[in-house]
Amino acid sequence: MSVQTMRMIDGIRFSVWSPTEIRKYSVAEITAPETYDEDGMSVQGGLMDGRLGTLEPGQKCLTCGNTAARCPGHFGHIELAEPVLHIAFIDNIYKLLLTTCRSCGRLKLTQEELNEFKKIMEKEAAYTVVSVKHIPEKIIEKAKRITKCPHCGKTQYELIFTKPTIFIEKTEVGENRLLPITIRERFSQITDDDMRLLGYDPVTARPEWFILQALPVPPVTVRPSIILETGIRSEDDLTHKMVDIIRVNQRLKESKEAGTPPLIVQDLVDLLQYHTTTYFDNEVSGIPQAHHRSGRPLKTLTQRLKGKEGRFRGSLSGKRVDFSSRTVISPDPNLDLSEVGVPESIAKRLTIPEIVTEWNIKRLKELVINGPDKFPGVNYIVRPDGIKIRLDFVEDKKTIADNIEVGYLVERHLYNGDIVMFNRQPSLHKMSIMAHYVRVLPGKTFRLHPSVCPPYNADFDGDEMNLHVPQSEEARAEATLLMRVQEQLISPRYGGPIIGGLRDFITGAYLLTKDETRLTADEFANLAMLGGYKGTLPSPAIKENKKNFYTGKQVFSLFLPKDFNYVITSKWSKGTKGPVKDVVIKNGELIKGIIDKSSIGAEEPESVLHRIAKDYGNEQAKNFLNSIMIITKQFITNYGFSYGYSDLELPEKIKDSISKGIQESYDRVYDFISQAKKGVLHLTRGLSTEEALEVYIVNELAKARDVAGSTADKSFDQTNSGRIMATTGARGSSLNLGQMAGALGQQSIRGKRIHKGYNSRALAHFLQNDTNPDSMGFVKSNYRDGLSSLEFFFHAMGGREGLVDTAVRTQQSGYMQRRLINALEHLKLEYDGTVRDPHGHIIQFLYGEDGIDVQKSDHGEAFNIERLVESESIVDSGKKATKDEISEISKRYTKTFNPRLAKMVQDALLASKLTKEGMEKVCKKGVDLYNKAKVEPGEAVGIVTAQSIGEPGTQMTLRTFHFAGIRERNVTLGLPRLIELVDARKKPVTPTMDIYLDEKHKRSKEDAIKIAREILHTKISSLILSTETDYSTKIKLNLNPGKLKERGCKISDIETTLEPSKKKFGVEVEGNSIILNLLEEPDAQTVIGIRNKVLGMTVKGVPDVERVTVVQQDDEWVIQTTGSNLSQVLEIEGIDKKNVRTNHVFEIAQTFGIEAARNALINELQSTLEDQGLEVDVRSIMLVSDLMCSKGYMQQIGRHGIAGTKDSVLARAAFEITVPTIANAALTGDVERLKGVTENVIVGANIPVGSGTVDLYMKIAKKS
Amino acid sequence: MVTKKIRINVPEHLYIPKHEILKKKEVEELLKKFNTKPSQIPLIFETDPAIVGLGVKPGDMIKITRKSPTAGKSIFYRYVVEE
Repeated sequence: MSVQTMRMIDGIRFSVWSPTEIRKYSVAEITAPETYDEDGMSVQGGLMDGRLGTLEPGQKCLTCGNTAARCPGHFGHIELAEPVLHIAFIDNIYKLLLTTCRSCGRLKLTQEELNEFKKIMEKEAAYTVVSVKHIPEKIIEKAKRITKCPHCGKTQYELIFTKPTIFIEKTEVGENRLLPITIRERFSQITDDDMRLLGYDPVTARPEWFILQALPVPPVTVRPSIILETGIRSEDDLTHKMVDIIRVNQRLKESKEAGTPPLIVQDLVDLLQYHTTTYFDNEVSGIPQAHHRSGRPLKTLTQRLKGKEGRFRGSLSGKRVDFSSRTVISPDPNLDLSEVGVPESIAKRLTIPEIVTEWNIKRLKELVINGPDKFPGVNYIVRPDGIKIRLDFVEDKKTIADNIEVGYLVERHLYNGDIVMFNRQPSLHKMSIMAHYVRVLPGKTFRLHPSVCPPYNADFDGDEMNLHVPQSEEARAEATLLMRVQEQLISPRYGGPIIGGLRDFITGAYLLTKDETRLTADEFANLAMLGGYKGTLPSPAIKENKKNFYTGKQVFSLFLPKDFNYVITSKWSKGTKGPVKDVVIKNGELIKGIIDKSSIGAEEPESVLHRIAKDYGNEQAKNFLNSIMIITKQFITNYGFSYGYSDLELPEKIKDSISKGIQESYDRVYDFISQAKKGVLHLTRGLSTEEALEVYIVNELAKARDVAGSTADKSFDQTNSGRIMATTGARGSSLNLGQMAGALGQQSIRGKRIHKGYNSRALAHFLQNDTNPDSMGFVKSNYRDGLSSLEFFFHAMGGREGLVDTAVRTQQSGYMQRRLINALEHLKLEYDGTVRDPHGHIIQFLYGEDGIDVQKSDHGEAFNIERLVESESIVDSGKKATKDEISEISKRYTKTFNPRLAKMVQDALLASKLTKEGMEKVCKKGVDLYNKAKVEPGEAVGIVTAQSIGEPGTQMTLRTFHFAGIRERNVTLGLPRLIELVDARKKPVTPTMDIYLDEKHKRSKEDAIKIAREILHTKISSLILSTETDYSTKIKLNLNPGKLKERGCKISDIETTLEPSKKKFGVEVEGNSIILNLLEEPDAQTVIGIRNKVLGMTVKGVPDVERVTVVQQDDEWVIQTTGSNLSQVLEIEGIDKKNVRTNHVFEIAQTFGIEAARNALINELQSTLEDQGLEVDVRSIMLVSDLMCSKGYMQQIGRHGIAGTKDSVLARAAFEITVPTIANAALTGDVERLKGVTENVIVGANIPVGSGTVDLYMKIAKKS
Repeated sequence: MVTKKIRINVPEHLYIPKHEILKKKEVEELLKKFNTKPSQIPLIFETDPAIVGLGVKPGDMIKITRKSPTAGKSIFYRYVVEE
């Protein structure tokens, strides 16, 4: 056997080609603008020169002699008649011109200064990692101001840079254009040492190479021409652009030789510059785009690389694959949870390679005889000598089958039991791609079990899904071990089940397990059989009318593990105000209670299903779920369950009471309005009359809707299908019921009643300023009776907002997800438990601070100690352990535990009544579970974290502001706030503070108000009634005594404020006004300036704090503010300095340091997500926060932060700002080390995360 | 150079965990335990308000004792760098 050596890419170095290199790599100088001659042959020295490579198959390359398949293509070059600037380096050219001497080419800093910087750079002390990076910036900042070269003493002139390519020097004699040729000369004088200080690598990028003398012509394979059906050749955009360059170059050369006037020559040079610029980048601002003859802008080099469809994101990071298929999905509850139904037509096209062995030869021969058209068959056979036989055209398949021997490879059809990967986009989390077992079915759609919809977020309204067939044994093994549906039952986002019963399965479970259900022996046996029950049948539990009956609970119990004990409150019990903990399961027997969503539902942590998954494993949980769902499905099918128009019918009496209720609410609304008109409306603090009135009306109308809804809801009895579905959690809510049978209620746009549209009214059908709630979008009707046309229109307005909202939200959250993934993808867990990036930088010393994998955890905890104790106490009997024994046991077992877990274990043991032996058992089990719940080395914790935060983004509301009750404080919430936090913005949109008071002051409201006055920012403008300005002599400020009192200010306070500016005017107090006497007679402009300045002066309080409210929390008073200024609030007396909180994380970083900022960030992220009712484990939030704070300052998740400072060039280029990233990498001589994720996807290598972290080596037997 | 130790008040706040300078020997142990270079440890600026009062200089290692929602208490390290 021959040993094949495989070579791996070690690294990729980026550099700038020098003109010499360009000429060296060139196989032909291109001079002719023509591509093909009349015969269709490529022109020698033209753009399609045969030496540049071949296009047509069969044709041989003139340079390397290979055919199209093997010839890589070869570069040519154009000798430019005049040098031009390279547009990708234009900013660097500008900076170099600014910082270097125009005469001697040295950096315009003294040698001493340069040495100083050099010393820092060469010292390479570990603690200068950050400061070193700032050196080039510092040098540029300093050098560009210097007007006289410290080395040669020459005067430096001002430089004007007219974008994109013109440099002008302002000399004494006038403006002088710097031509590329001059720039080149200057740059060639710059010393290598100076370049290094500026961060360049002079070996890979000398500055004079930024000016092109020769232009490389890319091989034809890069710009293939296509032949249209008409037989006309159509050239690539790049070829078109090259033609332009060659033409102008030719003309320029000729006119230079002919001695044309310099002005015309200069025009041609500019034209050449334009064409080369657009050749590199056709989207440069400041110059017109180059267009194709058809008017379409040309797609030149930069455009090819950039953006979503560009080379990096479109072709390299995202690749097209074979062995995949896509079709519409439809449900099939008869499938196993882990199966996917594949249409036969697809199964016949997708193949799995199987090597013939003596064990499968018989089976494979039969398949070969079936051929490609008969399922199950074979499409191809590969002989050991590598020849591939396509079976489509083989007449005699029998002979071929007979010839098959061990060692042949057969590409057989997909059939039942094969493992495949199933996916639905958008793939927001790892459960978006799961491994299923194939079940070949008739039809044309993929079939999946309805219960696997939640992880895919799929429904059947036309959704399509993709299916991939792994081709190697390794791939199949990984898919089975890691990706199967049952391995994904528990979500890594919150450690609870994401898959479970839903819709009719829930209803069915309710109908089956409710107390009244009676089953005959036949029915019972049928259901047991369907669920796959193999044991002996139990005896009937109930005897009625001399007949034996089984209960539904007995059916359910058949599939519970025999030693399973659990108590839970059902949704039904909660909804009907029944007893708590009504569901009792004892020794695998459902004693009482109703099974509904809270027991077997999807996305329900701490349910029966969750417990089974945790205590008995995923496989058993899957089987349990399968059995339960098939029997509930069958039961509800036989039972008959429907919901329709008649189920929503209300008695006349109730209808009347609903409309009466609404009318009463209307009356109260009119009452509020008249109160407001009279000015007797009770005002809540800080709200104007209009605002308060609106709040009252909205509340009243909401109440009206609720009353109508609940009246309707109550009139349905508990056998009403809608009621059953709502209370069991199968579908809908009582709100939906209320809207269908009661009243729809207020329609809103942006959280407000609809009042805009026409002048002083919402629709033209109303009077102006109509006060009737009907005119502002209150819908009295319900869905059953139908809406009036006006109501319908209002409803459509509200509905439209919802649609727009979703459309905007998906975009925003999608981008956030991309940024999160990009920032975190390369983080993985190392063998020492640390979370690191591929360059060894530690992000966390222990993942999640306790090293527990959320997906393997029990709702975030390593194990559920209470549950262990509880289940042990059922079998345990004997003498209760003594206190000493307990502490001894817990100490012995919790040695390796973290303090919190150890305490939890000890507390649980102390509270239990277990014997010593029982405790030993519990602890042993606990340690075992703890070790099992630890994260495994190699785990892609970064990606899981990014998905856990990004995926819920899609479910968040976009509503920016939310009116926190009557607390008159607007706070950014939901997705915008989340984005703001991961953006590490300098200032949040709505900064707010919560200021707690010290022991002395926190009990009294008066003290709180007094302190609040000290905090509230009071400007002079907020204390006056009016100003009177005499433009020649004085400004008179008329004070508002009421406001003075409200803010707790005295006139003397204002005087003190004005004190420092006494130079400009005299201050005089006159009753309730202050007169500013101007000292000299100024012009009107200055007077206005002075007045505005005076009005903006701070009398009292903390700047930026615009509003304060005193709120009672428990028994202490807290000051809440709008606007935040942490450092200055800390100076105020009477506050609890340790407990001043702000949502302005950046400010915390500045005043309290990076660790405090990290804590604040965790708190903010957590409360933002919690607010939306989305459960995300803290460990994810901690990792993101630790990453953002790992460099000593707050880094953004995005191109200016983590993604932009990644070491990998390719990863940065693939994220955003592609071309400048690559250009910059060339300047600094960056080497791509290929250690991260994106880089390896791009070059097609193994990804060093997860199962890619390990290598397998095989021992080869030594020669004997 | 005369180094005068100016005591700047370390701000006290519920968000600020305990920061302390790690001894030379402990630093070596730490680097050995995690088999790492100082620059690979999370960074903290010498000007960070939480540590300026401790009299740190670049190159020091800071031990941070955090309160942890998952583990009760956890230890974190940061390496002091120039800004």
